[in-house]
Amino acid sequence: MADSDKVWPTGLTLEEAEEVHSYLIDGTRVFGVIAAIAHVLVAVTTPWLG
Amino acid sequence: MFDYRSFAMRKLTALGPKYLPFVDVATAEVPLSRILRLSLFQVTVGMALVLLIGTLNRVMIVELDVPASLVAMMLALPLVFAPFRTLIGFRSDQHVSALGLRRVPYIWKGTMYQFGGFAIMPFSLLVLSGYAEAVDAPRWLGISSAALAFLLVGAGVHMVQTVGLALATDLVKEDDQPKVVGLMYAMLLLGMVVSALVFGALLQPYTPGRLIQVIQGAAVVTVALNLLALWKQEARDRERAQAMKTMRRQRFADAFAELMQAPGMKRLLFVIALGTFGFGMADVLLEPYGGQALGLSVASTTKLTALFASGTLLGFAYASWALDRAAQPGRISVLGTLLGIVGFAAIIASSLGAGVPAFLLGTALTGLGTGLFGHATLTATLRATQKDRVGLALGAWGAVQATAAGIGIALAGLVRDVIVGLDPGAGAGAGAGAAVETPYTIVFSIEILCLALACAVLLPVLKPRADETGQSQTGRALPDSRQTAVEVP
Repeated sequence: MADSDKVWPTGLTLEEAEEVHSYLIDGTRVFGVIAAIAHVLVAVTTPWLG
Repeated sequence: MFDYRSFAMRKLTALGPKYLPFVDVATAEVPLSRILRLSLFQVTVGMALVLLIGTLNRVMIVELDVPASLVAMMLALPLVFAPFRTLIGFRSDQHVSALGLRRVPYIWKGTMYQFGGFAIMPFSLLVLSGYAEAVDAPRWLGISSAALAFLLVGAGVHMVQTVGLALATDLVKEDDQPKVVGLMYAMLLLGMVVSALVFGALLQPYTPGRLIQVIQGAAVVTVALNLLALWKQEARDRERAQAMKTMRRQRFADAFAELMQAPGMKRLLFVIALGTFGFGMADVLLEPYGGQALGLSVASTTKLTALFASGTLLGFAYASWALDRAAQPGRISVLGTLLGIVGFAAIIASSLGAGVPAFLLGTALTGLGTGLFGHATLTATLRATQKDRVGLALGAWGAVQATAAGIGIALAGLVRDVIVGLDPGAGAGAGAGAAVETPYTIVFSIEILCLALACAVLLPVLKPRADETGQSQTGRALPDSRQTAVEVP
């Protein structure tokens, strides 16, 4: 267990912190795409954009 | 002098890991409450299934006026993903993660797909049906967005269920597996029953706005329950993370071939396909059959579902109890198929003059058989696998099971359409007479045939009673396990 590359305040190693971060990024991307599609569909269905 | 900086740092350090979704230390003993919490993912799976197969099936056809063939195609889309369960399970077995996580990332990803599908589904359905402004929308937009929504939900359900079951298997000792399998099945049933009632009540005065609220509400509930389910379930494990980097990497094809080489695995999957298909059509066809062939009212046919579900629950409970006492999964599966055969026979007999009591008895027996068979075959699958290939085995189980169940439901829908085609005024059933139960009887006979086949495939591999040791290292061959044995001629 390498202590040298731990990052604080979490005490995770750099690799672990990056992995946690990657989940966040992935989630943001997926939700962003979903939201974009949902908005397009709403715009088509309702007189929202005139 | 108070050192704010180090105080804040200390506080932050203490807080950090506490609010991350994994446990720091793997405990040997997982309390039942945690398994119960994990089983919540099955509730969301049940909810998705009911919404797709039950609620939306009706809403699309009746309220939204979408052509039935298009609806059937949309609902069949998630099935396309069923074979991928094997691959997903395998990928989670071989997942490389710095945190030492194998299952949780996949469950989370699956949850996101479920959420995404539900988020765009109501609007895509409204576009598909040409509601309001969407009248001038191009046709491909509605079709493609609805297809995307169904695909997303389907992919999410397959992922969450496969990997969730694998995680549950990881967490418990082999002795406790029957209990966990029973619990998971019971939660799936609970999710289906509760959400069917809730959706039915919420969509009572149907408006497009209400449809949007209900489906997107389902999306939020899905995320909430799945988060609750996977929170702090898998341990952060630096040693496992190291091991992951140096793990023996296997190609999927090789691993799959290895799984199929396992003794009895092919036979087991074949039996699961036959049995699931045999039992699969029952709950869809019982209600219309009761209404048309026996003239039962809508209110009393709804009670049928409750009867069927109670029988199924009883089956899970008994299978858990018996398998926990070293009964053979094979025997319990055979018992399930036999009960199913008797049940379907009684259901057929009910329209040939035996009347409603026979029908009710048949429904209860079929439910009981479904519970016993489902539980025993899943337990058998788990017992036949290696510890590091649980995901793959459960993926194979899920692929076979989901495909067989899907084909069964599709066939049931086909039968309904045939009946409607035969008799445009069907539904009253009073004047239709003898012709009305014929298609149903044919289907029930096919089911009996499938179950009999499954039974025949299983019988040769049942061990004689003498060495009733329960295959695994349980070694608790209690005398009362004898009572669970099926008399093999």
